[in-house]
Amino acid sequence: MSDAFRLPRRALLGGAAALPLLGRGASAEETMVIATWGGDYANLLKANVEEPLMKPQQIAVTQDINDEDPRVAKMYASRRLPRGADDVISLQAVRGHEVGAAGLVEAIDVANVPNLAHVLPNLKSPFYAPHIWSPQVIIYNPDKVKEPPKTFTDLLDPKYKGRVGVGDINYFYIMMAAALAATGDVNKVDAPETKALALKLNANGLRLYPSTDSIGAGIKSGEIDVGIMWLARVIMWQNAGIPVKAQFQTEGSVLYISGMVVPKNAPNKPAAWKYLNAMLEPSAQTRFAERMGYLPTVDNCKLTGKVGEQLALPDPAPKLAPPNYDITGTLQGPLSEWWKKNMQA
Amino acid sequence: MEAVAAKLPVAYGERQARAATAFLSPALLVVSIMLVAPLLLVIRFSLNRYDPQELMIEAFTGANYLRFVSDPFYVAVLRTTLGVAFATTVICLLLGLPMAYRLARMTSRWKTFCMLCIVLPLFVSSVVRMVGWMILFAHGGVIDNLARWVTGNGLELMFTPFAVVMGIVSVNLPYVVLTVQSTIETIDPRVEEAAQSLGAAPGRSFWRVVWPLALPGIAIAGILCFILAMNAYATPYLLGGPRFQMMAPLIYQVFTNNNDWPFASAMAIILMATTLVLTAGSSLLIPRRYRG
Repeated sequence: MSDAFRLPRRALLGGAAALPLLGRGASAEETMVIATWGGDYANLLKANVEEPLMKPQQIAVTQDINDEDPRVAKMYASRRLPRGADDVISLQAVRGHEVGAAGLVEAIDVANVPNLAHVLPNLKSPFYAPHIWSPQVIIYNPDKVKEPPKTFTDLLDPKYKGRVGVGDINYFYIMMAAALAATGDVNKVDAPETKALALKLNANGLRLYPSTDSIGAGIKSGEIDVGIMWLARVIMWQNAGIPVKAQFQTEGSVLYISGMVVPKNAPNKPAAWKYLNAMLEPSAQTRFAERMGYLPTVDNCKLTGKVGEQLALPDPAPKLAPPNYDITGTLQGPLSEWWKKNMQA
Repeated sequence: MEAVAAKLPVAYGERQARAATAFLSPALLVVSIMLVAPLLLVIRFSLNRYDPQELMIEAFTGANYLRFVSDPFYVAVLRTTLGVAFATTVICLLLGLPMAYRLARMTSRWKTFCMLCIVLPLFVSSVVRMVGWMILFAHGGVIDNLARWVTGNGLELMFTPFAVVMGIVSVNLPYVVLTVQSTIETIDPRVEEAAQSLGAAPGRSFWRVVWPLALPGIAIAGILCFILAMNAYATPYLLGGPRFQMMAPLIYQVFTNNNDWPFASAMAIILMATTLVLTAGSSLLIPRRYRG
């Protein structure tokens, strides 16, 4: 038998090993994964960050869409792996600082992410890049409520019995609002006075809704007249024709902040830094303000026109109360247990 | 010759046993890998310790089980789950038995159509069906508006135990009807006719003849319904709302929200054990002579 057509083993192996390199050369495109919420948020990221800002940099982004809790669980579970699955992870500030304190995420700085230089001073963090924010307000139906409640304690008025609704999933923010009203300190979510105030609200027929959107549906159907929600949602609901207005609490407003972190074991950190930088670009920030009603986290994004008017904070400026995440980050678990046993029960 | 004849059945039996083992092996292998192995893993997890940052620390402790039985909140949730499962089973049997009997004895050409009507809901996801119930039960929904129109007062059923029980009944009823109907089909109608020819009224002939013969099938239908209700997830989550707690949604909540895998595993084992014990115990309710 002739050896003329026999492929040498070494050549075959060498050729096989070179195939991936050929592929890379042909496309010259990097890949990265962002773990994030789905729906409008994911769509807006794709339309305003990934397509216009990442694609020209030859970076193809894959979205890993799931809820926040599984994302956090995955971070803890894969902390010892040298190579994780996600490059960027979207988290609310409370959870972002929780995983930061646990040592799971990379530090960020302007050398890697130049747009961090524009982040508003009260939102800066050594490892958490804030993406959007909104103050938490009292919401009410102006057709039913002529004199809106101005403080958290006003919601205890018997005239609101069974007419106040909040999102069950937003329990930590409700407790921060209660803490602000009961103790003057937004971080004292587990103080006895805070819990007592929350229980009084519960005793006044508080309605718990399973999702944020169902609160808007509750206002629309007339099931509730008053609630607690972030301003961004109020604007979205107003645009959808739901009769709802916002009232800033006199004791101050809790901040809802959503942002991103880069896990220590992210497979493609250079792409992750570019993603953080892109989401802080004024063009992307403006679109999130227009479509979702969230305020920009950077000082070089000036909102104009209708969206500028809708999102302008009242004059005099309301008192805003950013929490100390080093404190609140440790209270998530115990407070979740307390809420389940005392507020849901 | 006698010796050969005596050995024949044994050899034949062994061959049959070997063939049966060969046929059963793939299924047993799949069940072992897909069901038993994860179950053993859950049992092992339930003996570990939880840590907010490490998630799970290897241990061999019964603390998670102790936490469940010593906390009135979790015991109350198990009690609620049992209550809903019992109520659902009773309602399904009360509604399903007459339907199954009528279907089994039906000879008209409408029988296929009626069967289709019962099977059809199984073609639709239970989540989709629950969305339908939500539209019916919600504030400003069909029932609320109808009640407001008739009585002047609304009727809010959403996020109530009634909504949850009705939702689970709607999911489980087809299983009960189909199981009981197939049992009654096997009972010869002539035994009923014989009873009636001996002077028994229709009700008496059903109670004394059909009921004992159908009892094993009815028990299976009841057990099936009970197990499904004990493990219901979508219905209590969607129709019960945040304040109505049942075991399956709570296990998911502990697993994902708190990341407390050891405690969630212990809860899963407790739910499974409770269901198994009650299912096994229910067979004692059937008189020995009627057991299949």
